[in-house]
Amino acid sequence: MDAPLDGTSSRRGPVRAPQSLVAGLGLIGLGVFGIWAGSDLDYGSLRAIGPGLMPFWLSIGVGLCGLALAIAGFTHDGAPLQSFTFRGPVVITLAIIAFAVTIRPFALGGITTPGLGLIVAGPLAIIIAGYAGTEARFIELLTLALFLTAGCMLLFGDMLNLPIPIFPTAVVQAMTGVLPARTMLRLAAGAMALVGLGLLVVQRRSGRREPIEVARHSLTT
Amino acid sequence: MKKALAFGLLAALTAVNARADSYPQRPITMVVPFAAGGPTDIVARIVADPMSKALGQQVVIENVTGAGGTTGITRASQAAPDGYTIMMGHMGTHGAAPALFKGLKYDPATSFDPIGLAAGTPIVIVAKKAFPAPDLKSFVEAVKAGGASINQAHAGVGSVSHSTGVLFDSQIGAKPTLVVYRGTGPALNDLMAGQVDFMTDQIVNVATQINGGTIKAYAVATPERNPSLPDVPTTKEAGLPGYEVSAWNAVFAPKGLPEDVRKKLVAALDAALKDPNAKKRILELGGTVPKDGEAGPAALQKLVESEVARWTPVLRGAVEANQ
Amino acid sequence: MADLFSNLGLGFSVALGLQNIALCFLGCLVGTLIGVLPGVGPIATIAMLLPITFGLDPVGALIMLAGIYYGAQYGGSTTAILVNIPGEATSVVTTLDGHQMARQGKAGIALGTAAIASFFAGTVATLLIAALGAPLTKLALIFGPAEYFALMVMGLAFAVVLAHGSVLKAVAMILVGVLFAAVGTDLETGQERMTFGFAFLTDGVDFSVLAMGLFGIAEILRNLDQTEARDVVRERIGRLLPGLAELRQAAPATLRGTAIGAILGILPGNGAVLGPFAAYTIEKKIAKDPSRFGRGAIEGVAGPESANNAGAQTAFIPLLTLGIPPNAVMALMVGAMTIHGIIPGPGVMTKSPDLFWGMIASMWIGNLMLLIINLPLVGVWVRLLKVPYRLMFPAILMFCSVGIYSINSLPTDVMLIGFFGLMGYLLIKFGFEPAPLLLGFVLGKLMEEYLRRSLTLSRGDPMVFLERPVSAVLFIIAFAILAAALLPSLRKSRDEVFTEA
Repeated sequence: MDAPLDGTSSRRGPVRAPQSLVAGLGLIGLGVFGIWAGSDLDYGSLRAIGPGLMPFWLSIGVGLCGLALAIAGFTHDGAPLQSFTFRGPVVITLAIIAFAVTIRPFALGGITTPGLGLIVAGPLAIIIAGYAGTEARFIELLTLALFLTAGCMLLFGDMLNLPIPIFPTAVVQAMTGVLPARTMLRLAAGAMALVGLGLLVVQRRSGRREPIEVARHSLTT
Repeated sequence: MKKALAFGLLAALTAVNARADSYPQRPITMVVPFAAGGPTDIVARIVADPMSKALGQQVVIENVTGAGGTTGITRASQAAPDGYTIMMGHMGTHGAAPALFKGLKYDPATSFDPIGLAAGTPIVIVAKKAFPAPDLKSFVEAVKAGGASINQAHAGVGSVSHSTGVLFDSQIGAKPTLVVYRGTGPALNDLMAGQVDFMTDQIVNVATQINGGTIKAYAVATPERNPSLPDVPTTKEAGLPGYEVSAWNAVFAPKGLPEDVRKKLVAALDAALKDPNAKKRILELGGTVPKDGEAGPAALQKLVESEVARWTPVLRGAVEANQ
Repeated sequence: MADLFSNLGLGFSVALGLQNIALCFLGCLVGTLIGVLPGVGPIATIAMLLPITFGLDPVGALIMLAGIYYGAQYGGSTTAILVNIPGEATSVVTTLDGHQMARQGKAGIALGTAAIASFFAGTVATLLIAALGAPLTKLALIFGPAEYFALMVMGLAFAVVLAHGSVLKAVAMILVGVLFAAVGTDLETGQERMTFGFAFLTDGVDFSVLAMGLFGIAEILRNLDQTEARDVVRERIGRLLPGLAELRQAAPATLRGTAIGAILGILPGNGAVLGPFAAYTIEKKIAKDPSRFGRGAIEGVAGPESANNAGAQTAFIPLLTLGIPPNAVMALMVGAMTIHGIIPGPGVMTKSPDLFWGMIASMWIGNLMLLIINLPLVGVWVRLLKVPYRLMFPAILMFCSVGIYSINSLPTDVMLIGFFGLMGYLLIKFGFEPAPLLLGFVLGKLMEEYLRRSLTLSRGDPMVFLERPVSAVLFIIAFAILAAALLPSLRKSRDEVFTEA
C-alpha cells in the first residue's frame, strides 16, 4: 500500500514526514545490525570473494537507504505514523507458538513440551487465533476447529501421506498393536466431524446470533 | 487439556506392556538426511520397499535435509532406540562430517547401532569433452602442471564431489582452483559447456552424460569396472591405485536397540538386499551391492571407523585452507 | 515436420490410454489441491507420493508427477488471488494485481483470466518442447555463470519497477531481501553467516516461510486492524468468468508472457523464476497508463500467469534433453525417473520414445484438464470469500502452520512465520511493500553464487561481465530499466521524488 499524501501539509515542526523518519531509522538500525552480525566473516578478495563481502555491502546499502529516508523525513512532506493495535499481533503470535510447541516434542532450555500432534495443535491454534478478532465466539470457533482439524487430518495425514504427527506420542505408543494408525486417524476424524455437526445443530437451535454482534459489526451480515 | 493429560497417563501405563510385545507393531520411520530424489534417497526407497515386506510393517521415508545431512542424522540419533526410527547414513554423514562440522552432536562410531551397508555408488573422475589428456596418467600430469589455472567443480562443502575431489587433489598433489556449485546439476551443466575442467562424482549422476559423449570419464574409483560404464578403466588399471573411493549408503539406528529388535532389522536389510528387484535397481543405477564380507553390522562399524580416519586429515586441511 | 506429427501421434496414443488419462487427471487434481493450500508445495508432495508411483509403469508415474507439478502452478495462483498468499516464488507477482482484482469484486475474472492464460501458455510451450526441444538445449550451454549473474541483476532491476510506491523504499526492500538470502551456511566455505548460533538458521530461511509470514500472516494482522478493508472482498462477487472485452485486453499480455516465460524456462539455472517478474515489468512499461498496475490491472494477471506456466513447462527441456534439473521439483523428477530405471538425459528421446513423447502429449492433456477442473471451481473459490473473516483467518493461520510444518517437519519454521508476519505488519505500517523483498530474497541467493563463481573463473577480473556479449546485453537492459524507472521521478518536483515511481 502506498502512503497517501494527505493531512500533513498543515503540520509544522522539524519533522515533516514522521513515517519516513521512523522507517529510515529502522533501516539504519537494520544496516548496523547486519554489519555487526557479519563482522566475524572474511571479506576475501575479488578473485575469491569471502562470505562476508556481500552481507557487508548490503548492510551498508540498507543503511544508506535508511539515511536517505530519514533525511527525507525532515525535508519532504509525507505520511504520518499509522496507528498500531496490539491485540492482533500478540494473539496471532501466541496462536502460532502454541501450534509450534504442541505439534511435536519441542525442547527449549530444560523444558520439553509433549508432542500432542495435529489433533491438539490444530484446534489450539484456531481457537487462540480466533480471539485476535473482537467478534470471537467460543462455540463457533470450536465448531470450526473440529471440522478443519478433521479435514486436515484426512487431507494431510491420509491422502497426501505427509509425515505430520496426528496424535499425541503417548497415544500412538499406547495404541500400538491395538489399532492401525490409518484406522485410528479415520475414526478420530469422523468422530470430530460428528461432534462438529452436533455443535452446528445446537447453535442453529439456540436462536440465531446474538443481536449485539450484528449491530456492532458489519461483517456478520 | 484435561483430556490430553488423561490420555497421557493412560498411555504411560500401557506403554510398558506394549513394548515387550513382538516388534514391529507400527510403521517404522527411516530418516533420509537428503532431499527426495537424490542418490541417497533413491537407495533408501529401493531398500525400504523389501524391508517393509520382511518386517511386516511399512518403512516410511522421512526426508530431513540440511547441513550436509547432519541435521537429519542428529535428529534421528536422538530418537528413542526402539527400532521405530532408523536412518540412511552415507559417506558424508558417517565419514566426512566430523572433519567438516565442528559442533557435530553425534559421533559416527559410537552414537549408533550399525545395521548394515546398503549400497555403494562408485566415484568417477570426469572432465570436459575438450580436455586434451587421452588417459588418466596424462590427465593427472596435466592437473598437477596446470596448478591454479585448472578449474575443478564440486557441489558444495560437505558434498560427495567435494570430499572425493579434495581427496583426489591431495593424493596427486595438485592445487586446482575450486569452483563451487549448489548441487551436481549446475556443476555438470558447466562441465558440459566447458566452463570448468573436471570433477569427481557419483556414477549415477554422470553416467548418461558420459555415455552420451558430452563429457569424458578417465576412471572409476573401484577395484572392478562398472557394468554401466564398461569401457571406463578402474583407477588401478589406469595407474592411480591409491584412489579408491565410493559414496556408500548404510542403515543405522540410534544407540541402544534391544537385541531382538536389532536382529530383526539386520535380517530385514539382509533380505532386502537379496531381493532380486531391489538388487537389479541398485545395479541399474551403477551402484554396488555389498559383498559377503561387507554386509552386516560388524563390517559397517569397521567401515565407519576407517572412513572417519581417512577423511579427517584430508578434509581438515582443505577446510582450514578455505577459512 | 512429418516426424513431429508422427512423434506427437505416438505421444497421444500413449497419453490417451485409459490408465494414463486417469493418472494425469489424478495428478492435476492433487496438484491443484496442494497448490491451493498455503505452504504445502509440490516438492513435499511429490516426495511423499514417489513411493506410490513405484507400482505404476514409468510413463504413468511420470505423467502423474508432472501433473502434480503444473497443477500446483495453477492452484498456487488461486491462493495468490483470493487470499494474497504466494505459494511459490513464481506467484508473488500474481498477488499484486490479482488480489486487488479480488478486492474489487473481480475475483472470478482474475481466476478465469489466470486459468485461460495458463492454458494458452501451456499449449504453446508444449508445442515448443515437441518441435524445438533438442536444438534449444544449445541455448542452455551459452549461459555460463557470468550470463546468469547478469540475468539476476536484470531481475533485481525489474523488482524496482514492480513496486508502485516510493522507489527508494523499493530499493531498500530489495537489499533487505538479498541480505536475508545471505543468512545460513556459506556455500563456498561452509562457514555460518549471520545465524547467531541458531541451529534452525544454518540452512537459511526457507522461501515458503518468508512468503507465508510476509504475505499470509502479515495480511491477517493488517486486516484485523482495518474493519473496512476486509469486507471489501466480499462486497460484490461480480461475474464469474472474464468476458470478451477482458479477454481481448488480456490477449496481448498473454502472448508476450508466454514468449518470455518459455525462453527463460529453458535455462537450466532456474531462469524460470524470472519469467513472471519480467512479464509484469514489460506489461507495466508498455502500458498506456502504468498507474493501473498494482490496482487490479488484468494484464498484470495474464502476463505473469502465462509466463509462469510457460516456464514451468519448458523447464522440462533441460531435464529431458540434457539430464540436468533446473530446479528442486525437476531434481525430484530426476529421482522419480531413476527410481523407475530411466536415467534422464539425451538418451531418453531415442531409447524410450513412448515415455518422452507420451509425457509431452500428457502435458497438453493435463493443461486441458486443469482448465476443465479450474473453470467450474472458480465459482466455488469465489464463494469461499463469503465466509466471514472472523472464521476465515483462523483457518488460513492453521493451513499456513500445517503447510509450513510439513515442508521440513520443523516447529521452528512455524515460529518463523510468526516472526516474519510481525515484520511484514511493521513494513506495511511504514509504507514498504513486501513483494520486492521477496524477489530480492529469491534472486539474491542465486546472484551471489553466480557472482562469486564467475569471478573465481575469471580469476577476479570483473570485466568478464562486459566481455561476454550475452552478459553485456543483459547488463545494458538492466541499466535501461533502472534508468527508465528512476529518471521520470528525478525530473518531477523534488517533493515527489521519494513517493512516486
